[in-house]
Amino acid sequence: MKDLSLLDRRRFLRNATLAAGAFSAAPFIRAADPARKFRTALIGCGWWGKNILREAIASGRVKVVGLCDVDSGVREVAAEQVTDLNGDHPKTYNDFRELLDREKPEIVVIATPDHWHALQTIAAVGAGAHVFVEKPTGHTVNESRAMLHAARASGRVVQAGLHRRIGPHHVSGMAFLQSGAVGEVGMVRIFAHGGGGKERPSANSAPPAGMDWDLWCGPAPLRPFNQKLHPGGWRHFLDYGNGQLGDWGVHWLDQVLWWSGEQYPKRVFSSAGRPIAGPAILNEKEQTSDTPDHQVAVYDFERFTCVWEHRRFGENRAEKHAIGAYYYGTKGTLHIGWRDGWTFYPADSNAPTRHEDSQLQEPDGHNLRLLWADFIESIETGKKGVANIEIAHRSSVLPLLGMISWKTGRSIAWDGDKEQIIGDAEASKLLSRPYRGPWVYPGV
Amino acid sequence: MSLIPVNVWKPMRAPALLITLLFPLLAAAHDWPQWRGPDRNGISTETGWLDTWPANGPKTAWKSHVGLGFSSFAVADGRVFTMGHAEDKDTVFCLDASTGREIWKHAYPAELGDKFFDGGTTGTPTVSGDRVYSLSRWGDAFCFQAADGKIVWSGNVQTKTGARVPDWGFGGSPSIVGDRLILNVGETGLAMDPKTGAILWQSAGRSAGYSTPLPWKSGTEQLAVFGSEQAYVAVNVRDGKEAWRIRWLTQYGVNASDPILSGDQVFLSTGYGKGAALFKLGGAEPVELWKSKKLRTQLNGAILFQGHLYGVDGDTSESASLKCIEWATGTEKWVQAGFGSGGLVIADGKLVALSGTGELTVAPADPGGFHPTARAQVLGGRCWTAPVLAQGRILCRNSRGDIVCLDVRKL
Repeated sequence: MKDLSLLDRRRFLRNATLAAGAFSAAPFIRAADPARKFRTALIGCGWWGKNILREAIASGRVKVVGLCDVDSGVREVAAEQVTDLNGDHPKTYNDFRELLDREKPEIVVIATPDHWHALQTIAAVGAGAHVFVEKPTGHTVNESRAMLHAARASGRVVQAGLHRRIGPHHVSGMAFLQSGAVGEVGMVRIFAHGGGGKERPSANSAPPAGMDWDLWCGPAPLRPFNQKLHPGGWRHFLDYGNGQLGDWGVHWLDQVLWWSGEQYPKRVFSSAGRPIAGPAILNEKEQTSDTPDHQVAVYDFERFTCVWEHRRFGENRAEKHAIGAYYYGTKGTLHIGWRDGWTFYPADSNAPTRHEDSQLQEPDGHNLRLLWADFIESIETGKKGVANIEIAHRSSVLPLLGMISWKTGRSIAWDGDKEQIIGDAEASKLLSRPYRGPWVYPGV
Repeated sequence: MSLIPVNVWKPMRAPALLITLLFPLLAAAHDWPQWRGPDRNGISTETGWLDTWPANGPKTAWKSHVGLGFSSFAVADGRVFTMGHAEDKDTVFCLDASTGREIWKHAYPAELGDKFFDGGTTGTPTVSGDRVYSLSRWGDAFCFQAADGKIVWSGNVQTKTGARVPDWGFGGSPSIVGDRLILNVGETGLAMDPKTGAILWQSAGRSAGYSTPLPWKSGTEQLAVFGSEQAYVAVNVRDGKEAWRIRWLTQYGVNASDPILSGDQVFLSTGYGKGAALFKLGGAEPVELWKSKKLRTQLNGAILFQGHLYGVDGDTSESASLKCIEWATGTEKWVQAGFGSGGLVIADGKLVALSGTGELTVAPADPGGFHPTARAQVLGGRCWTAPVLAQGRILCRNSRGDIVCLDVRKL
C-alpha cells in the first residue's frame, strides 16, 4: 500500500466504496462530501422557521437560496439575517410555488402554520426537494396520509421537527425506561400546563402593509385579520391549528409511541372546553381564539393507557412539574420534562431519586441542531431519520384524533392499519375537511 | 440641507452645571419630567446622592402598587406620575414623591394585551408645565391638569387617524417638541396641539415602532426621530415631512429602543439579534460608520456618556448582559453577564442599574470596568423598566407594578 500513487489510492478508495455499496441494502450509500452545500429554501420565515434555518446555517451544509413568506416585512428581515449569518443572498418570494419553480432547492424547510404543511410538502417533494417540515405533519389526518404517500412516492427524505426524538435527556430517559429501572409501566400521563385567564376579544384590523392575508389563509377559511392570529397566535384558532394538543401534545404522544413501540391506540376519547377563557367570538368587528382552554384526552393502547391533559389557567403549584410525561411503573415514576430534564421517583421511599439535566439550545429550549444533523445524515446515507415521515405521521395522527373525539363528543374507535375510524361516518368526515378554492384537498 | 443638530434642551443644562461648579459640596436635585429624563438621554443631572449603601440597602422611602405594566416614572414638582393595568383598566397615577400617597388617579377601560409577555401599560406619562400627557397601548391619549388630574382633553388617536396598532400596541411615550405634542402613532408619527388635542398632521402606511419621539434640531428645523416598523425616520414637526430615514429591519418590527443622536451622528440598536450601528448625517443619505452585534438593545435604549455607550445586550428571553461599548468604534469595553433584561440611568458619572430580577447596583460609568460601590436587592419579579433617579430618590418597579422608592439623599 505504501507505494500507491495518489491516483491509485483514489481508485482504490472508489472501488472500496463501490464494494461496500454492493453489499449494502441501501442503493445510494456513498461517501458524504462534508463540504457539499445543499441549495436550501425556507417557507414560513417567522420565529420558528428562522430557528431551524439558523441551525441549518450553523451546520455549514447549506446555501440559502430562497425565502418565502406571505408578509414582505417578515421575509425581508429574514433575508437580511441570513446575509448577516453566512453572506448568502437568498431571493425572497411571496408564493411558495414560484420559489420551488425558480430556485429548484434541494432542501425545503416548511415552518408555516399547520394548515399549509400538506400542500407545501407535497409540492416540495414533487419538485425533487428533501423536506424538513414542522410538527404536527397535517392539520387533518388525511393531509398527513397524503404527505406520507407523496414522500414515499418521491423517494425524498421528509423529516418532521420532532426534536425531542433526539434531545439528549429524552434519549437517556428512554434508555432508563427500557433498562427496566421503572418496572412495568401501566399508565402514562402527559401534559403541558400554563397560566391564563378570561380571553377578551381583539378588534379585527387590516393586515400589515405588505402582507398577503388571502395567501396566508390559503386552503383554510378566510378569517378577518386579527393581531391575535399573526404573528404567532394561529395555533389557538381551529381553522389553522389544533391548539395545545396539536402543538405540545404531539411531542409527548410521539415519545409514548417511541417508548412503547406501539403503532396506534385502539380508542381515543377527549373532553375539553373554554370555561375560563369564555365563549369563542368571531364577528366582523372582533374575535377571540377558539381552541380549548383545557383538555383531557385518553388514549387506549394495547398494553397501557395514556392520558393527555392541558390547562391554560390555574398555574399548577401543587405538582412538581408543569410540562412533560409521567411514566407510572411498578418500581416508581419517571418524569421526563423539558428544561427540568428527567427525574425518577422510586416507589421505595428509602431509595434516592435519580435525575438527569436537560441539554437544550437556548433561548427557546430545543435540540434542532442535533435534529438537523440527523436530517442531513439521512439525505446523505439513506438511513432513516429519527423523526422521519413514517414516525411523524403516526405521532401526528394522535392529537388530530383527540380533536375529532372532542368535536363529536364521543369516543373514537381507531383502526390504525387501515387508518380509519370504525363505525362512525360523522367522525370519519373530520379526517378531512373542505378546502377553500382554488386549493384542492390532497388525495392519497 | 445642512444638518447641525443641537439638542433642544441643552440651554437648560447650563444653570445646573453652574450651580454644581459654584457649590460642589451641595447636592443638586432635579426633576425627571419624562421618559429618559430632562434631556431625553437617560442621564440625570442629580449630584451628591448616596452612592454607597449599608449592607441592607438604602432607606426605603415608600412602596406602592400600580398594577401590571412596564411604564417608567415622570417626576416633577414633588410628584411621581406612572401607569399600570388591573381588571381590564389602565390607570394613570399621580403620587406624592416623598410619601407615595396617591394624589389623584384616572382609570379607563383597556385590554391587558398579554401576547407573549405579562401585558399591561408600557408608556410613561410626560409632564410639561402644569399638564400631564399619557398614551395607552391602544391609542387613548389624555391631557390632565397635573395639579388635580382633571382631564383637559382626551380621545383615541388610533380611531381618529386609522393608524395601525403595532403588534404590542403603541409603546412610545408622548413627547412635547416646541409647541407640539408628538406621538409615535402611524408610520412616522402624529402631531397634536397640546392645548386642545387637535390633530395637526398624521402619517399612514406601515406600523409605528415602539420608541418615544426624540426631538432634534437640524439647523433651524425642529425634527423628531421615530422608531418605525422598518426604519428610524426623522420628520419635521411642523408638517410631518421626512428629513432622513435609515432602513432598519428588526424582527416583528420591534424598533423599540430610542435612537441616540450626538453631533452629526446617529446610533441605532435593537434586539432579536439585530445589533447596533453608527451613522453619519449631513450628506444626501445617512452613511454607516460601523455596525456590530455587540450591543442589541431590545427594550431600553443605551446611554451615551463621555464617548461610551452603556446598555443591555440581549433579549428578555435570554440571559442579557450589561455592556459598555465605545461610541466611535463599537468596540466592546466590558460585559457584565447575568444582568438580565433590566435598565439603567446615569447620574453624576455613575450607573444606577436595575437588573432584570430586581438587584439595584451603583458603579462608576467607567469604560475600564464595572466596579460597583453599592448593591441591594430592591424588588422581585420581572424588572424590565429602567430606574429613575430624581430629587434624591430612586424609583424602581417590576412588571406586577410593585414600586419601591429609595431615599438616597445625603442629609
